[in-house]
Amino acid sequence: MIQIDNLSFGYNSKKLLYKNLSLQLETGRIYGLLGKNGAGKSTLLKNMIGLLFPTLGTVNVNGFTPKKRLPSFLQTIYLIPEEVYVPSLTIDKYINLFGPFYPKFDKQQFINHLDQLEVKTAEKLNTLSFGQQKKFVIAFGLACNTEVLLLDEPTNGLDIPSKKLFRKLIASEMNDSRMIFISTHQIRDLDNLIDQVVIVDDGRLLLNASVDLIGEKLVFKIVDEVLDVTETLYAEIGMKGTAVVTENRTAEDSKVNLEHLFSAVTDNPVRIKQIFNS
Amino acid sequence: MNNTFSVPRFALLLKKTLLERPMQLVGLSVLALAVVFFSYVLVKSLVGFEEAQVISYVLGLVGGGCFLASFVFGYFSSNAMGSSFLTLPASHFEKWLCAVLITGVFYVLIFLLFFHSIDNLFVEIYHKELDPNGAFYKQLYEQVQPFPYDGFVAKKAATMFVNFAGAMLVGCLYFNKVSFIKVALLIATFWFGSYLINLAIAKVMIKNVENAMPYFLVWIQVHTSEGRIELPAKIMDVVRILIQYIIPSMLWLLAFLRLREKEF
Repeated sequence: MIQIDNLSFGYNSKKLLYKNLSLQLETGRIYGLLGKNGAGKSTLLKNMIGLLFPTLGTVNVNGFTPKKRLPSFLQTIYLIPEEVYVPSLTIDKYINLFGPFYPKFDKQQFINHLDQLEVKTAEKLNTLSFGQQKKFVIAFGLACNTEVLLLDEPTNGLDIPSKKLFRKLIASEMNDSRMIFISTHQIRDLDNLIDQVVIVDDGRLLLNASVDLIGEKLVFKIVDEVLDVTETLYAEIGMKGTAVVTENRTAEDSKVNLEHLFSAVTDNPVRIKQIFNS
Repeated sequence: MNNTFSVPRFALLLKKTLLERPMQLVGLSVLALAVVFFSYVLVKSLVGFEEAQVISYVLGLVGGGCFLASFVFGYFSSNAMGSSFLTLPASHFEKWLCAVLITGVFYVLIFLLFFHSIDNLFVEIYHKELDPNGAFYKQLYEQVQPFPYDGFVAKKAATMFVNFAGAMLVGCLYFNKVSFIKVALLIATFWFGSYLINLAIAKVMIKNVENAMPYFLVWIQVHTSEGRIELPAKIMDVVRILIQYIIPSMLWLLAFLRLREKEF
């Protein structure tokens, strides 16, 4: 479990990126952290793994304080950054040098992941394309079997088939003893993958709710005409009509559209809070 | 689990550090040794043996050591590499010890072995080339001897190495990019600044000041002769202990503390 209490953080002491952010993340879920560019998504991830330290407040990850970067903590968490690093080594040498640091690392599982992601090379890893390098690191991160896996913009640099393979792999590797936390601004890439949505904007937590709860509280539908503008949280005109997000007062079933949800939440933070607190 | 030091984990880390960037690490060491060799050969043929020994020894130990020191923590030039290094499950102490061992022990041993070999080889060649029946054979023979590792230059070079390499280790953790150049500039600025301050103070207090070395020595001109004023012996001892032991210890320890507090 990750428990963040009253987190304040800023690269500049005068301008805080986060102010009194509190958040609780449970094991056994795939979280999608959504936010605009510069909203501080990567910063939040770095606070969780101990690369950045809170200015105020506390971060607790499975009983550890990330700031201390203890080996026993780092064995339980793995960060796949937006830009990955692979040394000038072959796959086998990489396994031999990096795998032993993670007690639950499974070599066979790693090889299977590489197969699934279609990463095959006898050459050194730094000769691979960026997308291939990223898939390699994703495969390694998953095979480390850490309790917490943090992914920062994992689909950046992946082609469309690779994005599909990525979603499939993440879904297949999820279990009750691990938590996967994916930060992205490419919201569509997380469709049908995440079961909990976290939205941050302007250093505030706007939403932390399960996809099921979002479906209960909000309706996502296409209408010919927007009848009540005041009731509409978000509207977007498209070819087939207008996509709208409204409060779900009549227990309607609808499929959550993450892009529309994000716009609805960032445009109406106060109303969203009221709806989800009711 | 021991979160400070574990032998198997440290062995893994050392192996990973040495093999992760072998070309750079070996390349850098080979380059430093090549510079030592060529500077020895060049200065020997242009100036003389003693100068060649001094220049190549200082270049190899201090220059090469500093280069390597700037490399061992040189993970922070890219976001991905820095994150990977800091989040690798090993303790700060192990990561620091690894850097200290590579810079302060492995490189020094390799350099000393290499320098000792080439120095002895060149001296032996020189001795063999002398004519044993020549008039000045004994004089010429004794003129060129292997580099004395307990001499003034060796001691000064060791002091420079521990100070500058320590500064490089700390600097790499403060400056993420082109840290070698930035730290070298800082050291040069500090050295030149302390020289100017010493010179200014000496000129205020003493007449006929010719020159003043940083912190310990002032040259004065009396008529046509030149004299030197040194610090009193007791104070000089304090300064020497400070420069030989205390400042380097603080720098190498500061690297550990900085690594622990490093945000990236």
